[in-house]
Amino acid sequence: MNTHIENAVAENLEEGRLSLKESILVLAVISIVSLVSNWAGTGISPIQAFPAMLIIYAMVIVGLLLSKFIPIGFPAVAWVSLVSVLISIPISPLSAPVLAELKNLGFLAIVTPVLAYAAMAIAKAEVDLFKKSGLKIAAISILVFTGTYVGSVFVADALL
Amino acid sequence: MTTKSIPINLLLNWRLHLIVVIISAISELIGIQSIPIANAKLLFLPLFYAFILCLFLNPNITKFSDKIITKKSASIAAPILIVAILPFIAKFGTLIGPALPKIADAGAAMIFQELGNLGTMLIAMPIAVLIFKMGREAIGATYSIAREPNIALISDRYGLKSKEGIGVMGVYVMGTMFGTLYFSLMAGFLATTGWFDPRALAMACGVGSGSMTAACSGTLATAFPAMKDELLAFAGASNLLTNATGLYIAIFIALPFAEWFYKKLSGEAKSTPLTTEAK
Repeated sequence: MNTHIENAVAENLEEGRLSLKESILVLAVISIVSLVSNWAGTGISPIQAFPAMLIIYAMVIVGLLLSKFIPIGFPAVAWVSLVSVLISIPISPLSAPVLAELKNLGFLAIVTPVLAYAAMAIAKAEVDLFKKSGLKIAAISILVFTGTYVGSVFVADALL
Repeated sequence: MTTKSIPINLLLNWRLHLIVVIISAISELIGIQSIPIANAKLLFLPLFYAFILCLFLNPNITKFSDKIITKKSASIAAPILIVAILPFIAKFGTLIGPALPKIADAGAAMIFQELGNLGTMLIAMPIAVLIFKMGREAIGATYSIAREPNIALISDRYGLKSKEGIGVMGVYVMGTMFGTLYFSLMAGFLATTGWFDPRALAMACGVGSGSMTAACSGTLATAFPAMKDELLAFAGASNLLTNATGLYIAIFIALPFAEWFYKKLSGEAKSTPLTTEAK
């Protein structure tokens, strides 16, 4: 009964990967979008924030290349994160100049477009699934999110 | 239908990106707002407005938005989203790097809070099985926070069309639709109660996806502006650790425990599917 919906969602997951070339292209567009969002949020003009965006863009591409050519099952997010952490650790010679530039790019301002894309990405199959068994799954999901978050908070709080 | 079939002009569909630019700019201009509730506050961030406003413009959700953007053009947002999170992850990393010494000081808390998410089963599983009378869907739904690695594991063990698969997909879809908002509200609320160390709240933000971490820690940074950099760094490091270890915790601890707990709760004496033992 639900299978065709599940199939569609699963297919979405499998298909939803861009090639390296497509990713690089799309990232350029996303960078422009982020610069505008940053402008509206922090008042820093796109020209002033451009070097910061370029640094971010370069780090993402290096991360994508690593995930492509070192296939150890590490997701791209982890590679990108690793690259930017290593560049910015105190002993890195690039740390100080990179951090000084990146101050021009607000943390929250570059998240806002991501959430906008997230809302646009919700597919028909997901809406259908929600309508069909919405309440039960919604209730369980809230418990899952709350349980996971609060569980981790308790452990971390006890050990700090 | 391989990835190669996505035409470039669809990827660069100006309507989609224009909608995102306009909505983001409007959301940023509205800025951070808050509503007091008893002794605590609910924080609303621009990312929250951007999400809600775009829900109204999603042609799969509202009818009139069909005129603004076609379903086909909107559907391209799904693969774009996977890439769109990366610039933010890079920015996040540059907050972790400088704070690495501080994070190392909190080492034990950082590592063991990864296990804290097993708490989800203790609460959600009994309710799913005993109150909602769910079957083996409960295993998929409650064994983890249902992000991509967790789906991959369930798909590998049981297949996505199985009951366990339906369970994990259900929570995954909810997480995609509302997880970010819920995390942001929950973290903001707990922050203003003053019950927990803000650093603990920040570390726990890392348990989910990148955008959940962003929304959650962004709210905390707003609630505790003096600790902003430290909190973002803790959340980011925790999310990095989740990405690196989450799958292993799921394979070796969470899923076996979920199987065992489910059997206890449902009184099911039958053996587990062959696939589980074969692996």
